[in-house]
Amino acid sequence: MFILDDLLFRPFVGIVDALHTIALDEMYDVEGLEAELKENQLLYELGERSEAEYRRRKDELEAELETAREVHEQLSSGRVEVKK
Amino acid sequence: MNNRYVYGVVESDTVEFETDAVAGADRVYTISHRRLGAVVSDIDTTDPEETDEDAQIHDDVLREIMAYDDGTTVVPMQFGMAFESDRALKNVLRGARPAFRRAMSDIEGKIELGLKLVREEDADVDREAIEADVADRLEPIAAQSVENDLFSDRLVLNRSYLVGEDEREAFDDAVANFEEDHDELMIQYTGPFAPYSFVDVKIGAKQ
Repeated sequence: MFILDDLLFRPFVGIVDALHTIALDEMYDVEGLEAELKENQLLYELGERSEAEYRRRKDELEAELETAREVHEQLSSGRVEVKK
Repeated sequence: MNNRYVYGVVESDTVEFETDAVAGADRVYTISHRRLGAVVSDIDTTDPEETDEDAQIHDDVLREIMAYDDGTTVVPMQFGMAFESDRALKNVLRGARPAFRRAMSDIEGKIELGLKLVREEDADVDREAIEADVADRLEPIAAQSVENDLFSDRLVLNRSYLVGEDEREAFDDAVANFEEDHDELMIQYTGPFAPYSFVDVKIGAKQ
């Protein structure tokens, strides 16, 4: 992940910690992804989205959501740190 | 299969039938305390995983309970309430008795219906006018209603309605008439469900 690596190796302190957390929050937006999953389901049920498109999107979003949840778990456990 | 998975609470001790139940069980039955009965199936965990399939089964079983014996009022539980033992469950029925009785009288003879209005992809809609039109047509028929999350910017309205069984037809007609008058919207009208959105009894899980 380019942006993450970039932030990790930049030699700033303090403010970078905060920016880093904000950046991760935005990149791994659990609530946003959950909403997109619901929207995908709804548009499929209403017949606007084909079954193939629905399944493709669902798999994609579920994978992103799993990653996002892992990142948040690691953030809250302090296992992700900014190197100084 | 020593633990008990709960679907809802009824004022009866006789609800019992064979069906596809959560986590592969094949029958539901009642565990009661002083005529308040929890409708349960056997399960071997107190922390069931919410799969799409089991969430659907939970809903289906609740609908079967509602239809049982020509109509049974059930205070529905959300997915995932499972208890260690009959004793733990009876303790909850005892402790939350007043709350269950109140909820029961609120929803007796009523069902929940869901309405989602989604704007057509390129449509420009006046949200406030639509909300007002829906309210004018549906609120007088419903006993109560509650707003749900607008999880997509395509969603113009997302509400649940508590409707008396004897008002069901009038409500269906009002929704159909609304739909005829609004080409710019796609409509998802769902239910009947057990009235989840209108009971506020949360029993402590994993006891």
